[in-house]
Amino acid sequence: MKRNTTKNLTKQSGYMNALMHECMQTCSHAIILLVIVGSMTFAQFQLPKYEKYTLSNGLTVYLMEQHEVPLVYMNAIFPAGAVWDGEESGLAALTAEALLFGSKNYTKDQIEETFDFLGAGISANAGKEAAQVSISFKKGDFDQLFPIFADVIRNPSFPKTEVDKRIQRWVAELEQAKESPRGVIGNYFGKFIYGENPYGNPVDGTKNTVSALTPDDLRSFFNLHYQLSKSCISIVGDFVSEEIKLKLDQVFPPSPKVDLPLLPQQIQAGIDPFIENRVLLVNKDDSRETTFMIGSMGVAWNNPDIIQIDIINTILGGRFTSWLNTELRINTGLTYGARSTFSNRKYSGTFYILSFTGTENTSAAIDLTLKVVERLHKEGIDEETLTSAKNYIKGQFPPDYETAGSLAGLLTTMFFYGLEDSYINDFEKNIDAMTVENANNIIAKYFPKENMQFVLIGKADEIREVAAKYGKVIERNLSEDGF
Amino acid sequence: MKKLIAILLFFSFAVFPQSSVEDIKSFTLENGMKIIVLEDHSIPNANMYLFYKVGSRNEYPGITGISHFFEHMMFNGAKKYGPKEFDRVMEANGGANNAYTSQNITAYTNWFPNHTMEVMFELEADRIAYLNFDSTMIESERGVILSERSTGLENDPMEELWDEVQAAAFTAHPYMWPVVGWESDIKNWTKQDLENYFRTYYAPNNCIVVIAGDVKYNWVKTLAEKYFAPIPSGPDPRKIHTVEPEQKGERKVFVKREVPSPYVLFAYHVPQTSSEEYYALDLLESILSSGKTSRLYKSIVDEKQLAIDIGTYYGNAFDPTVIMIYAIAGQDVKAEVLEKAIKDEIEKVINEGVTDNEFQKVKNQKLMGFYRSMETINGKANTIGTYELFFGDYKKLFSAPEDYNKVTKEEIQQVAEKYFTKNNRTVGILNTEEEK
Repeated sequence: MKRNTTKNLTKQSGYMNALMHECMQTCSHAIILLVIVGSMTFAQFQLPKYEKYTLSNGLTVYLMEQHEVPLVYMNAIFPAGAVWDGEESGLAALTAEALLFGSKNYTKDQIEETFDFLGAGISANAGKEAAQVSISFKKGDFDQLFPIFADVIRNPSFPKTEVDKRIQRWVAELEQAKESPRGVIGNYFGKFIYGENPYGNPVDGTKNTVSALTPDDLRSFFNLHYQLSKSCISIVGDFVSEEIKLKLDQVFPPSPKVDLPLLPQQIQAGIDPFIENRVLLVNKDDSRETTFMIGSMGVAWNNPDIIQIDIINTILGGRFTSWLNTELRINTGLTYGARSTFSNRKYSGTFYILSFTGTENTSAAIDLTLKVVERLHKEGIDEETLTSAKNYIKGQFPPDYETAGSLAGLLTTMFFYGLEDSYINDFEKNIDAMTVENANNIIAKYFPKENMQFVLIGKADEIREVAAKYGKVIERNLSEDGF
Repeated sequence: MKKLIAILLFFSFAVFPQSSVEDIKSFTLENGMKIIVLEDHSIPNANMYLFYKVGSRNEYPGITGISHFFEHMMFNGAKKYGPKEFDRVMEANGGANNAYTSQNITAYTNWFPNHTMEVMFELEADRIAYLNFDSTMIESERGVILSERSTGLENDPMEELWDEVQAAAFTAHPYMWPVVGWESDIKNWTKQDLENYFRTYYAPNNCIVVIAGDVKYNWVKTLAEKYFAPIPSGPDPRKIHTVEPEQKGERKVFVKREVPSPYVLFAYHVPQTSSEEYYALDLLESILSSGKTSRLYKSIVDEKQLAIDIGTYYGNAFDPTVIMIYAIAGQDVKAEVLEKAIKDEIEKVINEGVTDNEFQKVKNQKLMGFYRSMETINGKANTIGTYELFFGDYKKLFSAPEDYNKVTKEEIQQVAEKYFTKNNRTVGILNTEEEK
């Protein structure tokens, strides 16, 4: 728990990246004073060399040697996220965590003690679409830890006592989670946008659904969704590939490939376009501020314009000087931060703006947000702004892939979403290729401006009328189970 | 586990292969500003950390939170670069930044592509030498800070309890107020207060700069001479002479707030980071809370199911501080039951000491922690700065594995016995209703 107070909520906190942009009209004098910056040439970041191959059981393996630090990171990814929960919301997330509750050859205590003792890390969790199991350890500890890792991803035992204990805490955590409107607003928004589509499933489930889960549910979910033939492991760090390959062969002896079909049709089903503005007003009686999300549908990972969209979003709400942060924070002091995000999934995605403000400023902050969106469509982007955003993205790109851990994560992400090396290797080239004309086409094509969907969490009695200004209001109470 | 111990003891003495003490160079400008440089060419980026030795401990009632407010104002305009331009110029050059304020220090962090380093020097020099306080910017920033304070409290009941426990644990020392400040002070700071603060604390002799990344030492030196050296030094800031008097009895705090289950927070007074007992206390803290097999997690969360979250905090501090132990109760668990369970675990360490296995475990964890913190240029700069500030010398970073190895099991038990006493404790509970 960090007790410092910062300029921006940070990337690390998992919430806000560097937020916000600029105001050409009100500070035109500024332009003369600025260091004039043209488009910069950067040392192009290239994906380090790696090897990819497939074992007889169908598991894809990525090996990337990185010798700077004596650490090794391993990451396994499975198509085992919450989109496959069905009615049993929370099933994927609990299954992932429960992998570490014991396996054929190791008890929960043995797993925890071995990893903790070596200062190594092990984690297993599920997100919306995928589950990941990751370990990190000192070079040299491979032989002790890898067999455990291999056993938990193939032979978890899901002991009832441990599963029940976790469910008991899980339910309490779901209740506590509602203490943070900013922590749960994404769940409300996802459900509000997607409705019955599996992408609307809250990853952590609800009290009712999680309470009902049993070890058998976990087992059947595991058997279908943790097929090695649909998965990969990436190993990145300080090792010698030839040695690791031999070790992998020992731990994964030749075995027949199992390939059961998953049922992705439901996930691929589209969402009917929104035909009106809607507002979900979630009441929290003791609120002193209103937390809000405004947005609509976004794009899928395989969208060909994904990098161009990112450039525009950087300008709108993806950095400290973005238009949203400039207006809502820097110029008016209405909030500590405002940002916009494209959340890209395999088959679809969402776009949202997120901010918060004192209850009494709810109307001012939301009006201003909508004005900024309108300005984006009306005025578009000029050359100087575009150049600044390109430089910013290029300049901040290399640190994203600085560690073996982040590279391991990148490789599994590339596998899961089917991204080519060119996504990384041509990234800077693609950034540079963007023109002002493209930019304005991208805005018109992808940035929602009408039929917006709003979620407001705050004191309903004081913001009900404000909420009604924006569209048809649906009311809920934060204390009600689910989202 | 025996075999493991032998392997690890051997390993523990290895130094950091990724950077050695010789890789770090430093120089001090005539105005007293110390600059520490670590060349690391793994990515074409670099960072610049500026640590000012000022934090909420330098404040007094009436201006609480002003260090943090000041931190925000550093982005709001100087001479060459007016309001909003610092961030605009930095981002247009591919850079990003953040800043944080603690009880002890204020840090400014710039991350940038290596070829734009001169711009970073120019931006920093402008605001250190000529920060300007624009009245309009002061007012909008006041709103930002009120929102920052409010959003922290809105989203985290523990933060509310934390403030109250800190305020009770300290009766004299300025560690008693929250870094963000009390609301009434936030609303009433004046431009004059900010100007005084700037003159007192933002002189180059009160600042340490760390630069790590794909840069050349000589180029850093040239730029430092050009941009930072002309800034005049200032008088040494007032020493913080207030010593927190010894606590003579347990203090209890209750905060009423509607929550699904109670929050519990303990504070014990302990020595500052530069103390000889620091390493033993730091290992004790890890034994209590680091990992699933730690004392508190294993017993209270996993086995007894009394809490859904538990942890400890022993932050770096110039002055004697507190170790915090925090927990959120599980469903239908009473605060007093959770409180007792925590006390039992503490008693157990005091009475029975620590085992060989967990003793070696926390040392191994520390070593891994160091490796992880040295994986990025960002982690390197931050760690180097932390050691320079709180341990008096960045070189201590490289002797840290040995410093931890020198601690004995008995010393860990001794510090537990010495500091985890009832008289030295403040216990805070946040709950919907007070338990009868």
